[in-house]
Amino acid sequence: MHYILRRTGGALLVLVLAFTAAYILLAALPGDAVLARYGNPDLGLTAEQLAEIRAAYGADRPVVLQYLETAGSFLQGDLGYSVQSGAAVSALLAEALPSTLTLAGLALVVAVVLAVAIAFTATHGSLRGTRLTHWLRGTLRGLPPLMVSLPVFWIGIVLIQVFSFQLGLVPVLNASPIQSLILPVSTLAIPIAAPLAQVLIRSIDEVSAQPFVAVSRARGASTWWLLWRTVARNALLPTLTMAGLLFGELVGGAVVTETVFARMGIGQLTAQAVAARDTPVLMAVVVLSTVVFVLINLIVDLMYPVLDARLRRTGATAPTRRATVTAR
Amino acid sequence: MPVLSRRSALALGIGLPATMTLAACGGADGAGQAASGEPQQGGTLTYLEPQTWETLYPPAGGFYPNGGVLNNITDRLLFQNPETLELEPWIATDLPEVNEDATEYTFTLREDATYSDGTPIDAENVVKNFDLYGAGDPDRALTVSEAINNYDHGEVIDATTVRFHFSAPAPGFAQAVSTINSGLLSSATLDRSSEEFGPGNATEIIGSGPFVIDQEEIGTQLTLTVREDYDWAPASFEHTGRAHLDQIDIVVAAEDSVRVGTVTSQQAHIARQIEAPDEPQFEGDGLSLHAASTGGVTNCLSFRFRDPALEDIRTRQALIAAIDRQAIIDTLFTDSYPLATGVLATTALGYVDTSEHYTHDLEQAATLLDEAGWEAGADGTRSKDGQPLLLTFNEALPQPRSREVVTLIQEQLAELGVDVQLLPGDQATQDAARTEPGTLQVYHSMVGRADYDVIKSQFSSDNRDALLNGHPDESVGDEELDELLAQIASIPEEEGRAEASAAAQARLAEQAYVLPLFEEPQVFGFIDAVQGFATESVGRPSFYDTWLAS
Repeated sequence: MHYILRRTGGALLVLVLAFTAAYILLAALPGDAVLARYGNPDLGLTAEQLAEIRAAYGADRPVVLQYLETAGSFLQGDLGYSVQSGAAVSALLAEALPSTLTLAGLALVVAVVLAVAIAFTATHGSLRGTRLTHWLRGTLRGLPPLMVSLPVFWIGIVLIQVFSFQLGLVPVLNASPIQSLILPVSTLAIPIAAPLAQVLIRSIDEVSAQPFVAVSRARGASTWWLLWRTVARNALLPTLTMAGLLFGELVGGAVVTETVFARMGIGQLTAQAVAARDTPVLMAVVVLSTVVFVLINLIVDLMYPVLDARLRRTGATAPTRRATVTAR
Repeated sequence: MPVLSRRSALALGIGLPATMTLAACGGADGAGQAASGEPQQGGTLTYLEPQTWETLYPPAGGFYPNGGVLNNITDRLLFQNPETLELEPWIATDLPEVNEDATEYTFTLREDATYSDGTPIDAENVVKNFDLYGAGDPDRALTVSEAINNYDHGEVIDATTVRFHFSAPAPGFAQAVSTINSGLLSSATLDRSSEEFGPGNATEIIGSGPFVIDQEEIGTQLTLTVREDYDWAPASFEHTGRAHLDQIDIVVAAEDSVRVGTVTSQQAHIARQIEAPDEPQFEGDGLSLHAASTGGVTNCLSFRFRDPALEDIRTRQALIAAIDRQAIIDTLFTDSYPLATGVLATTALGYVDTSEHYTHDLEQAATLLDEAGWEAGADGTRSKDGQPLLLTFNEALPQPRSREVVTLIQEQLAELGVDVQLLPGDQATQDAARTEPGTLQVYHSMVGRADYDVIKSQFSSDNRDALLNGHPDESVGDEELDELLAQIASIPEEEGRAEASAAAQARLAEQAYVLPLFEEPQVFGFIDAVQGFATESVGRPSFYDTWLAS
């Protein structure tokens, strides 16, 4: 209980720090959201007209005052209004969130399946024999570093060019909900799967070298049984940690994927808000991402004892990530 | 009772002969030409936009994604023929009656036009429109229309007659009412705030145009459906009655290659903003390009002559002689981007050829720099009194390939010992730097608009002030230029405005204040099933006459 309270306190601190840091960075840049929208020479506004509008938005007040006010309304659950479009930020988020959750959730599932498939196949005992299997093993092991170095942007464009424009398999426009997810999910899954597979391969290798594996094998365990019951369970912890950290990658990937595939979502919303210096929207996105990031990592930490009996024995002392590493 | 002169009304803002060609069509068939075969009714057109729209408040609707919607859902009092630039009746039954000094305009409205919510376009509604567009409402963050100057108030004479009063001559008003920035909206719509004109509200923006906004998906798609009872199209259009298309899906596709590929693979009908490097993809069978002229001020470099580095006219002349414009166009652009021959586009009202001032001559440039006292130092960079010749350019984010243009100029000028830097940053950063003396020495920009006032908008110290002729402390560097520009927007007769415009163009050229690069088009790429596609005078799509061949 004490542990959960401490973790929650830490999470809140992270949230406040992220909020403040984002606010300071946005305020430090030259120009602001009102200028981004109304300072555009296309509107032909004079300096006085601009000043009037700044006053109407309250953008002429000291930054500290604006910061406190924004923080206050965030605490009350009021996310404010987008300066660029005037729409309520909460409405924008509500509209964008389901589509991004679907995209990110599916991409994560696909990425995990892909990573497990690559890692298990690449480390499978039967691949040690012939020259051909040796070559296959090398190729599979080379795959994650290749995938991790491909920019999401490039993957998306290549997938669209090949599968939609050249082969005509999936339409870009007027696609059914399932069709419209195939390419974006693949695009997002590839760079997420890569580090997962890398970590999994390495920990499987490490665990496989442990004496208890040799003992199991000597007692007649089959290759698959070894992998599932002995190695995988032990190799999972670092991978889980990695999965928590990968959320950041997921957010960044969503920005690019949604822009390339013209999908509405948090990513697209963020990209547009950045271009327009739309502070209220950006602050809401920062807070939302931080909350999710903190939550995911909290869940990951809480799951360690569930997955690893050794961590349960420590009892009152809190499991930390460092503890899990040394315990392993 | 002011004297109303019908003759001066007809002479206003209306004008150059129809000898100019509209579009600089880059080797491909221009749209808007007579379509082959009989127009067919029905079908859904998919139109790809690179960006999402931001507001449907007409005075702030100049941004192309906004304008593309507004042009199809609103009507205006007058119609500007995009080919002749002449004004024609639309919601007004005739051109306005204007008094001698162009401070009073009287319009007679047609009686049958209605908004899509059923309310009529009557005098009271029209006055309400212009009282908002002409004066703005800072409390609701609604801005004044840039094209409407000196507006005082509107007056309802009777149900179908309105009169607008101005505090000073407003010769550009007749043209101003024809632009998308003066799109008429229903009275209820005009009560909305700036927020309520933004995304999420599109279906509640009520106009009287041939299409009505039916559905909105914020940030990604807008669906327009035809208005069956539409019957007040301007006479210049090919047909009357309802539009041919049943529906238009406006879809946002930000990534260039996706937009191009979607059209070339026949998954969408038409896309806006085909970048120069992508144009060759439309040379194939079944595909076409349409490069619509945007009129107005060409894509040009404004030399901020009040900055110490560019004070000397010889320095500015040297830059003009040193920059190889043809090389820039050959390297970065296509035939859709004609070399500029003056500060105004050849299709703009009041255009004068000043190309004799813009000759590429490297030797001359070096001589001029020497004469101006810029001496080459040890590292090759020229300097004067210990100050290196360092010029900072902005990146014109809305303009095509601005970064590449500046980079090429950087290479070209480096050979002469001139150091060029590009100001990095997003639009807000660029806007903040634009009006700050000393930050930018050269300002890259353009303005698309089909009226005489456009040159004043761009260069007057009261407006965009591209040359930073007026500083924030309200001092003005070149009073003569400001005076000439002010005349363009205040002389009541068209002849006088044309003369003032010519004089201003000459001044800009002789003083080496600007280097026009090219005439910037709006490039659309589409499949051949799209027939009768046309644009308004500044290159925004107009889908009224468009139809789909099966």
